[in-house]
Amino acid sequence: MSGEQETVDLEGLVSKALEGINYSISREKGYVEVSVPLESLREAALRLKNAGFDHVKSLTIVDYIKKGEFKAMYIVSSYLSEELSGGLIALSTTVKRDKAKLPSLSDVWISLLFQEREVYEMFGIEFEGHPDLRLLLLAPHIAELKPLRKEFIVKEEPIIRKPK
Amino acid sequence: MSKMEEAKIYVGNIDESARKARELLLGKMKLGRLVDWATAFSLWPVHLTTSCCSTEFAATWSPRFDAEQYGALPWVGSRQTNMIIIEGTVTTKMACALRITWEQMPPPKFVIAMGACSLDGGIFYNSYNIVKPWQVVPVDVYLPGCPPRPETVARAIVTLQRKIREKSIAGKWVEEGWRPDMKYVKPKEDVCSWWRG
Repeated sequence: MSGEQETVDLEGLVSKALEGINYSISREKGYVEVSVPLESLREAALRLKNAGFDHVKSLTIVDYIKKGEFKAMYIVSSYLSEELSGGLIALSTTVKRDKAKLPSLSDVWISLLFQEREVYEMFGIEFEGHPDLRLLLLAPHIAELKPLRKEFIVKEEPIIRKPK
Repeated sequence: MSKMEEAKIYVGNIDESARKARELLLGKMKLGRLVDWATAFSLWPVHLTTSCCSTEFAATWSPRFDAEQYGALPWVGSRQTNMIIIEGTVTTKMACALRITWEQMPPPKFVIAMGACSLDGGIFYNSYNIVKPWQVVPVDVYLPGCPPRPETVARAIVTLQRKIREKSIAGKWVEEGWRPDMKYVKPKEDVCSWWRG
């Protein structure tokens, strides 16, 4: 999907699409990471959509508990354009842990409707403007624990009980 | 009592005749043993597919292994069945569905926990969203494996049949109205509390 087979110049394409937006770009293994500040996330998403990246493959959250922030990564790619379909772009932004709110991009990329609901229940991050922000997989008393945050620690039970 | 007397035909008052016939039948054989025998060869599991063990469950009733020869046949609804084979992982939400299905089945009813996930969590051991089936329903036979082979499922059915006949579980259940040997019939916690809100 990426690496040597990649023919399209993703960096050039991104710099053309995101002209005038404050961003930083870095080449990672398998994808190109584009970091934007939280204010211009929506604008960047719209411009990437217009540049041909028509769907989000996954929305992941990285929990940097010592820095006190979450990093949201929208891995975007293209179905319709054949030359873009070889590349992956990770549009990423950071948000403070104590004010965990993100703008909903589900009207830009419709495949985010379910992924934002899953992030909402697993991390407790609210998405402003989401049309139907309900729990997806978890029961309410499990979702209250926010189980994928770093501060949630599963109580370890030994497989073999020690003799008393 | 001679054979001539046994072959008597009762006529006249139907209540009186029925009472006499019942005394004759129950004097010969314990009704509980008949119930045990009948229940052991009509264990009908409900389709409660929770995870990937269901493929082996399906293969058990396929022509090659043919578990129908033991008198067990998967049936459609919980009202027409008397056995649950828990096919794998039980999550918090599925625990509620499992309990409701178990409540809906008419007694005498039995539970087989199939696969490593339903024994102690399996690969999801120590997870936040796993419920062990013995916390929700009383389990008769545990069936290890990841997933168990169809022979193992057939063996579990035969084991359950032997257990029913030797311990006379079904007969006692019918006579006494509740199962005598099962301690944890009711779950300690309300598994559907999240659903009622």
